[in-house]
Amino acid sequence: MLSFLISRAVQASIVLCIVIVLAFCAVQMMPGDALLAAVEATGSVADSRGLDAVRKLYGMDGSPIEQFWRWLGKFVRGDWGLSMTTGQAVWDMFVQRAPVTLELFLGGLLWALVIGVPVGMVCAFRRGSRLDTWLSSASLVGIALPPTFEALALIYLLAVLFKVLPVSGYTAFATDPWANIQSMLMPTFVVGSHLAGVLARYVRSSLLDNLRQDFIRTARSKGLSEVQILFRHAVKPSMIPIVTVLGFTFGGMLAGSFIIEVIFALPGIGRMAVDSIFEKDFPVIQAVLVIASVNVLVVNFLVDIAYAALDPRIRLR
Amino acid sequence: MNSATNRMNTTSLEALPSLAPPLRERIRNLVAALWSSRGSVRFGMVTIAVLILVSLLAPHIAPYGVDQQDLANVLARPNARHWLGTDNLGRDLFTRILWGGRIPLLVAAVATLVAASLGITIGLIAGLAGGWLDALLMRTADAVICFPALVFTLVLAAMIGPGIHNVILSFAVFGWTGFARITRGQVMVVRELQYIEAARAIGMSRTRLLRHHVFPNVLTPLIVACSLTAGGAILVEAGASFLGVGVQPPTASWGRELLTGFRLLEQAPQIAFASGLMVTLAVLAFNFVGDGLRDLLDPRVER
Repeated sequence: MLSFLISRAVQASIVLCIVIVLAFCAVQMMPGDALLAAVEATGSVADSRGLDAVRKLYGMDGSPIEQFWRWLGKFVRGDWGLSMTTGQAVWDMFVQRAPVTLELFLGGLLWALVIGVPVGMVCAFRRGSRLDTWLSSASLVGIALPPTFEALALIYLLAVLFKVLPVSGYTAFATDPWANIQSMLMPTFVVGSHLAGVLARYVRSSLLDNLRQDFIRTARSKGLSEVQILFRHAVKPSMIPIVTVLGFTFGGMLAGSFIIEVIFALPGIGRMAVDSIFEKDFPVIQAVLVIASVNVLVVNFLVDIAYAALDPRIRLR
Repeated sequence: MNSATNRMNTTSLEALPSLAPPLRERIRNLVAALWSSRGSVRFGMVTIAVLILVSLLAPHIAPYGVDQQDLANVLARPNARHWLGTDNLGRDLFTRILWGGRIPLLVAAVATLVAASLGITIGLIAGLAGGWLDALLMRTADAVICFPALVFTLVLAAMIGPGIHNVILSFAVFGWTGFARITRGQVMVVRELQYIEAARAIGMSRTRLLRHHVFPNVLTPLIVACSLTAGGAILVEAGASFLGVGVQPPTASWGRELLTGFRLLEQAPQIAFASGLMVTLAVLAFNFVGDGLRDLLDPRVER
């Protein structure tokens, strides 16, 4: 178990090193116009002196190697530099926006569990029936439906046509809990319906797999009722896919938040990332790149640990 | 087809690929087996065929020019002259939808081709070379899969400007891992088989070995991967174009039309619905076919 964890950790840290170098290079390759725009933003003339001042401000003076170590040292300590557009500390911008994105994906996960697990179970129990065919196709549609389209359709139906929910916008939970829930219902559903489709398919196939195992036959032969067999013996080991979906949810969190936060005007990290791309705000882009990858790495690592803990076959390999 | 499927999944001497039918016949058999598998797969196949046909013929069958403006009829409701109405610039929506599939399908084809050829090459190298090169390539694949592709697409757009080349480039960088794994796995299996040893013993060249013994065995799983990659590419193209870093106006593309539809959701909801439906149809079709293929290949999956 320990050697498994160590090898995983080593692998993850190698990937992390690559990501960090890449993120640094991305800023080194920053087009000149972004730098000139930054000079203009400070109000000074875009001559060599103004340029030098801006380079110094964003830590772009000295040799690339020197810059890299200085940047890395600061980054690790939480000093992620200043935004080129707002002048705010990038770290503060992240901390401010993280709760919104987190709420979006926790809500999505809730939808996924509430819809995906029962659907997958029904499909497995009634395998081959018309209900199974329809629900399986529905989960495929849930996966294939582009979030953009789903979001727009929901907004049109629920906000424009029937006016039961606000079109977009965000109210913090602390300010007004009810308004917060109303504003998050549609965005979380868009996240959740996709995950629900994934989850339903995983639960169905793993339940089918488990129902064929020897221990189910044993349970049946010792006279347990079908209900007992299903819920005591078959369902429990079939819940491992939930870990996979948890991984999907939080691993894909940042990339997934881009489109949804733009459409629903949620002030989260995804929205900030998209804005930073258009404004060529490289310190922010850099941080997004590193954080998005660190996020995936950490989540994958945790999923591996969870698998090992849940499934002795992996642990003992 | 059944015998071909079984052959693919056995790793014993029975898997004599000299008995394998020629490539064209294998593909024909595969298509036939797919067609007779189930309704959703047939639906997917027909949809893909229709979408490709419509995209190719768009300039000839569209009722208006793709950029032709009817300024007297801006934001028209669906009517006899404009079947789906017009957008805020007075362009016929039906025409733009017909044209709008060209870019996504092209991106899907190119991205899949690039990802597949890169992946197959890397997989072959890793599988044949073994040792440290194999380890290096496969660990790189593990690493690459950790990067969020959409984030990379956006960062690329910030560095080299918006355009569909970002989508294709990010698929080249991220899409190859699946193909490489499949190919490498099959090479590993095949190279241990006795008939390969025999073939090598009678002096068969490496290229010939690859073409006649390795490639036929990986072909079908690779087609599955192609189908799913194409669906993914359409989705990423739509997302990138919607966020404004993909196709630039006035080019018609479903993702770009979705953005227009988003801005005009209250005045002209049909723009968002028509273009969104097309993206959904395309992605769904590729997923249905990919799924059908996978079920055909894996007899263990119970339906």
